[in-house]
Amino acid sequence: MTKGLIGDNGMPIQVLLVEDSPGDVRLTQEAFREANVAIQVHIASDGVEAMEFLRQQGRHAQSPRPDLILLDLNLPRMDGREVLAAIKADDGLKSIPTVILTTSEAEADIVRSYRLQANSYLTKPVQLDAFEGLVKSINDFWLTRAKLPKNWQRV
Amino acid sequence: MRKRESKESDARYRGLLEAAPDAMVVVDQGGAIVLLNVQAEKQFGYRRDELIGQQVTNIIPVGFAERLIADGTRSAAEALSQHIGTGIELSALRKDGSEFPIEIMLSPLESAEGILVTAAIRDITVRRAAAEHLVRMEERYRGLLEAAPDAMVVVNTTGEIVLLNVQAEKQFGYRRDELLGQKVTSIIPLGFAERLVADAQRSEQDALEQQIGTGLELLALRKDGSEFPIEIMLSPLTSIEGMLVTAAIRDISARKKAEVHLQDKVDELRRSNQELTHFADIASHDLQEPLRMVSSFIQLLARRYKGKLDSDADEFIGYAVDGVTRMQRLLQDLLIYSRVGTKGKELIETSSERALSHALANLGRVIADSGAVVTHDPLPDVLADHIQLIQLFQNLVANAIKYQKPGVPIVHVSAAKGQGDEWTFSVKDNGLGIEPQYFDRIFGMFQRLHKREDFTGTGIGLAICKKIVERHGGCISVESQLDQGSTFRFGLVGSAS
Repeated sequence: MTKGLIGDNGMPIQVLLVEDSPGDVRLTQEAFREANVAIQVHIASDGVEAMEFLRQQGRHAQSPRPDLILLDLNLPRMDGREVLAAIKADDGLKSIPTVILTTSEAEADIVRSYRLQANSYLTKPVQLDAFEGLVKSINDFWLTRAKLPKNWQRV
Repeated sequence: MRKRESKESDARYRGLLEAAPDAMVVVDQGGAIVLLNVQAEKQFGYRRDELIGQQVTNIIPVGFAERLIADGTRSAAEALSQHIGTGIELSALRKDGSEFPIEIMLSPLESAEGILVTAAIRDITVRRAAAEHLVRMEERYRGLLEAAPDAMVVVNTTGEIVLLNVQAEKQFGYRRDELLGQKVTSIIPLGFAERLVADAQRSEQDALEQQIGTGLELLALRKDGSEFPIEIMLSPLTSIEGMLVTAAIRDISARKKAEVHLQDKVDELRRSNQELTHFADIASHDLQEPLRMVSSFIQLLARRYKGKLDSDADEFIGYAVDGVTRMQRLLQDLLIYSRVGTKGKELIETSSERALSHALANLGRVIADSGAVVTHDPLPDVLADHIQLIQLFQNLVANAIKYQKPGVPIVHVSAAKGQGDEWTFSVKDNGLGIEPQYFDRIFGMFQRLHKREDFTGTGIGLAICKKIVERHGGCISVESQLDQGSTFRFGLVGSAS
């Protein structure tokens, strides 16, 4: 196994993808597969489910703490902006890198996301190649080069 | 001695008589002429001896002799008191039979021969003509006033209506006598009387200069209490009664209604235009989402299953990929097109030379791949949206390189100073050229002159250029000959410095 498959604590890397479009979910999964990384991608299809996953509530009681959150902005029920605000307001969750992955190129969304302490803001490219390239670079930077807090280091 | 005195006084009277400016004729009670002066000879065209002893009716046929008879029945004192100073207008007859108007002043005088009547006769042909002229003029002016298409109201400086025409009666619904002497505020409550007061405080000359030809829009009031919009033109006039103001008043209800209607149309148009740009923006953005899915999965399909299904499947997938890719490009261009209007920035002083360098940098790879030689003259600073100016240069230079014959594409960008602060930019190439019948068409949406196999493109590039140039207040045009290259020209406004 190559570096990047396993986190520093010896556990597989866990990514939470908060995305309501099944097509995008599948594309992201395929792109991670193209990037040749056997990471575990968990899916939450709206903001409420994302918070349940992160807080291990309901059917997500057994869910792992993710190493990285990929968050879409436009979501049903509780949208990405609210999810971001909730994560960064939660002492237990705010150390998890949260990357906005959206189609919105609106300046207002970008500014607002960084104000809410998003760790980066990425827009989904239209072309497949470019999308794959983006996922690959997420993997290269956030899951390979960046040092992340250890999974068990909960505050 | 007595005789001499009498002679002297005679001569004196005669002198007086002859010196009088009027024709003087002295008549006795019987109506016979006893004395006349040289003016009388002249006026009536007779020699003195032809008139002396003749009846006065020869020269004044009617109105004089009758009076003598009437006077004869009265006492001299009565006749005297009645006649002195009264001017009677009569008709006189010359020797040649022609008539002329006279004014005649009678003064009886007692003499040894009884009561004589001295008549001072003045030819009033000229005065009569002048008076008639005056009457005619007044009639003409009144006619003019009444014929005026507008309601005319003449007001004095205290705001009282002194004159009005029939249109004014109609417009305001009053009879003339109901308005004469009334305050103008009863028909024009606001804005007119105040102006009169203001005018009274100014010199006439000032008021005159200020008001001639100025149209005021005010509200007028009919007798029935209904209001209507008017345009009022004031012109002061000086008269013996002091300064008067003539107001030409036009009912502009129809015009106002038309204006409101027009404004409604403009608003409606603006709204629908806004909706349309908004629609194009939303549509192209929102359509991109599902299209991204189609495109991505078709590409995944192509990548994973090429050669694994049969050759038909490969061909079908190929067409699907091609179609969806084109659709994406169209949508992107459409989005750019619609955003020229909606996302445009303020026009500020911008270096067109820097914008061109920026565009050329963006086209770096295209230029390198084609081996194109792109040159330019020094370019001016203009009022522009920098981003859009880059886009404009980029599209035009990219086109110049794209539509090429085999060989080295040569593109030159220049600018020439036109009228005022106008600059005309030219992007000249040595490419394929365009036939004249297509000159207009190429700037339209989705217009293409070439088969897709020969040249890719959505046909929006030049439409975007046109929209950018027009947003900057200029025009874009092309001059070209087939196989001789093309020159695209567009105008921009230079910045003041």
